[in-house]
Amino acid sequence: MAILIKQVELSWLDRTYVWPILKGMAITLGHFFRQLFTPTSKRFTIQYPEMKKEMPEGYRGLHELKRFEDGSVKCVACFMCAEACPARCITIEAEEFSELNLTQGFEEKRPKRFEIDLLRCIFCGMCEEACPKDAIWLRKDYELVGTDREALRYGKWDLLNTYAEPDGKPVIKTDPTPSTPSRKEVACS
Amino acid sequence: MPTLAHLLHLSPETLWMVAKVLIVFGGPFTLASLLTWVERRGAAMIQDRIGPNRAALFGKWRLLGLPQIAADGIKAFLKEDLVPPHVNKLVFWVAPLLTFLPAVMGFAIIPFGQSFVSGGQTYHLSLLDPGNGMGMLYPLAIGSMAVYGVLTAAWSSNNKWSILGGMRASAQMVSYEIAMSLAVITIFMRAGAYDPHQIIQAQWGLWNVLPQFLGFLVFTTCMFAETNRLPFDFAEGEAEIVAGYLTEYGSMKFALMYLSEYVHMVTASALIVTLYFGGWRVPFVADPGVWLSVLAFLVKLLFFCWLFIWIRWTLPRFRYDQLMKLGWKVMLPLSMANFLFHAFLMFKRG
Repeated sequence: MAILIKQVELSWLDRTYVWPILKGMAITLGHFFRQLFTPTSKRFTIQYPEMKKEMPEGYRGLHELKRFEDGSVKCVACFMCAEACPARCITIEAEEFSELNLTQGFEEKRPKRFEIDLLRCIFCGMCEEACPKDAIWLRKDYELVGTDREALRYGKWDLLNTYAEPDGKPVIKTDPTPSTPSRKEVACS
Repeated sequence: MPTLAHLLHLSPETLWMVAKVLIVFGGPFTLASLLTWVERRGAAMIQDRIGPNRAALFGKWRLLGLPQIAADGIKAFLKEDLVPPHVNKLVFWVAPLLTFLPAVMGFAIIPFGQSFVSGGQTYHLSLLDPGNGMGMLYPLAIGSMAVYGVLTAAWSSNNKWSILGGMRASAQMVSYEIAMSLAVITIFMRAGAYDPHQIIQAQWGLWNVLPQFLGFLVFTTCMFAETNRLPFDFAEGEAEIVAGYLTEYGSMKFALMYLSEYVHMVTASALIVTLYFGGWRVPFVADPGVWLSVLAFLVKLLFFCWLFIWIRWTLPRFRYDQLMKLGWKVMLPLSMANFLFHAFLMFKRG
């Protein structure tokens, strides 16, 4: 069946074109002056380097490896994220570790190397969902640049510090817990 | 004026001629480049955007984006001047000049201020003094020359888009010229003269726009068509014919073509002001003097330049057949009716 197009009957005033054009010009001039007297901070345009867009809830940006309050890594090197990753961009090397006096948990593994190739990463957030320890988060930072491919392979310390500055936390370069595993017996009471 | 001429060892006439040439060629040129800025920032504001505001002098002073003009100019000059192998080289090179020169030349007849007397001599503020015998026929004739620029650019490009754009633009210019001429003839008839000084003289007390509002509408519409501005920009069309007659042009040749559109706008605005808005006349001031009259002319000119930009960002484009229909079936009868109506009035009054 053919679609019936509704014919609009124009009044004689509209058919002169002059009056509708004047109305349109009033609209555009209104926009002109409204925009002219709007302060820059209230305009729609975000002047990028000076102003940044507030990303919505649930935005998946740059990864962060979470830490405990004493600074130790939450990640237990369980490889769940690496398994879940559809882009296969996470490389983990585990190391043995146990120091029950210093860590909050009873972890005996931690990542010696934790690397995300951000050029491969598709920011799907699967690693975040797979993580049993809430150790990897995708947060709102979208400014991700590097001068070469190597610069975008973020290692363990890069990932631990990606959000240190916006969060106002100190940048750490060493693990507060000793890196060499000590195998002394701990008495259970 | 005579003392300054004496200091420079020139006769006052020569000095005045040099000054006028500088004003008449430099003025529209400067105004046109400023208009490119006004166009971009104005368009941005109309569309709730911000527009170009990043170019800065020495990386420091942004000045509302005004350095963008200089940046664009430098960029256009430094780009490779590419001439495609399939074009007619000579015509391809001449075409930007043919587009640009008529646009500037049209301004020569426009009186941009009140004539003044200094040292027992009268100085007229227009490049061609009154009584030269050409009058307002001159800008109309020169304005028609602009078709050659578009057409040669299109033809020499040897490109289907260019030729389509050029043909469309020239057909449009030619068909709107008749309606425009009839509107202008009405003014000649009412003023009893075709010299711009006399036309302005005849607008004493009542600007032509009030008794000849219909003529003003027709003339302004035709000016939009003559300058190839939206809603009648058929020389170009991104969706159909790429950049039209400009498709093969690059670097400064393109910039010159682009700039000439704005110079055309300035000249067209000057024509509208002279013919319908009393030229340099100031309302309720009988004898405004040089500075006030120049200022009044400039304000009116800038308003009409802004009108061109304003309309462009308000109206959508016409389709080609709509344009032709408007030109031949509406504009021509309207200006004919305007002409006959005023002829009848004059006949009645005897």
